Amino acid sequence: MTEVLSPETVEDAVALLAEHEEAMPLSGGATLIAMRNASLVEPTHLVSLDRIAALRGITRTEEGGFRIGAMTRHCETAACADLTGSFYVLRRAAGMIANRVVRNMGTMGGSVANADPAADYLPALACCDAVLDIAGPEGRRQLSILDYVEDWYETALEEGEIITAITLPAPVEASSTYRKIARVSGDYATASCAMSLDADGQGLRVAIGACGPGPLRDRDGEAALRGKLDDPAAVAEFAGRLVALADPVDDVRGSAEYRLRLIPRLVTSVLSELTQQKEMA
Amino acid sequence: MMAKKVLHSLTLNGEQVDVATPSGATLLETLREDLRVLSSKRGCNQGVCGACTLLVDGKPVRACLTLTARCEGHEIQTVDGMGEDHVMATLQRHMVESGGVQCGFCTGGVLISARELLAEDPMPSREAVKTALSGNVCRCTGYRTIVDAVVGAAEELAQ
Repeated sequence: MTEVLSPETVEDAVALLAEHEEAMPLSGGATLIAMRNASLVEPTHLVSLDRIAALRGITRTEEGGFRIGAMTRHCETAACADLTGSFYVLRRAAGMIANRVVRNMGTMGGSVANADPAADYLPALACCDAVLDIAGPEGRRQLSILDYVEDWYETALEEGEIITAITLPAPVEASSTYRKIARVSGDYATASCAMSLDADGQGLRVAIGACGPGPLRDRDGEAALRGKLDDPAAVAEFAGRLVALADPVDDVRGSAEYRLRLIPRLVTSVLSELTQQKEMA
Repeated sequence: MMAKKVLHSLTLNGEQVDVATPSGATLLETLREDLRVLSSKRGCNQGVCGACTLLVDGKPVRACLTLTARCEGHEIQTVDGMGEDHVMATLQRHMVESGGVQCGFCTGGVLISARELLAEDPMPSREAVKTALSGNVCRCTGYRTIVDAVVGAAEELAQ
């Protein structure tokens, strides 16, 4: 039996989570209620975040980036026409999560907090250099998405903390996309690739999903690749570095070996898609 | 052990209903166990099979993943409350005519997902229908007759 609490402010939510030892924050419910139905979690209290207005909506920041409230549903992100250029990757990833019905329920904050390694937002957000806004008993803080995942299903979120928003920094002039290899439409990724190609054709940001506990991003490799995107050997070397960083598992979606083979193919293929897009524009 | 019950005031198919339901119950449990509204089916109870799909504020959601406590102040519609809806009625007729209904367990959820698709894309391709119904599992038909029904309903509605 679970008592449902419905605070209207972030402060009240944080206080309720601190007050009840076995309480859990509840966002969209798409994962947590399924886990509770299967008795995988048995919280005494669910602190529902759906009445907190401050957690909703996608708004532009003064820097020209976006603040995406943690309770923003996947369907809203997928339909947000303002997410263009280097942020299109996030919109595209949102539209590929599960199916329409689940996209009406699940939220970005909930998905990020759950940190499933095969879910779609983490690589897309890593590619955007997103920052998490976090509130907890010790106050508020910000954390780079690149420092967020610490191990399989383990994140830098401390006891009693909740994600309040995901902030996208000022956009760079770039085109971006998200590609997912999955067994069927809407499944979790076997492997995925979020990529953003600068408009000048020189710089690239790449994040690989489902090939380790968190999204793989190699910023040193990206810097070394700068200006050499038309050199297949340089791109292959960069992809090789991502393969070396990967730590995939064998599971029902594919073997670890298969995933390692997908990484270079994804990098080459998505880069070629973005390059062609740019040439046609 | 009897779970502690709480009272909720819900709007179900346009009517206000007061219900006592176990604290923390899902909408699926409240509908089926407390209100005996049985059109929303319990399949997987994990949000995967789609048999419990219904509308909250006009949007399809999984009843098994929705807490009743969060539904106060929102409009709940189940498939049995949508008989007057022209699109729904057309879809239902095509499902029967094409053989898209066998045991019927998935049918309500399929219809709600299909209606949402036609609201956004009135003339969907077969591929678009398959994608839109990817969250509704049917173990009888093999899906072809369901896709036939949705495409057939779309063609009729476009005339």
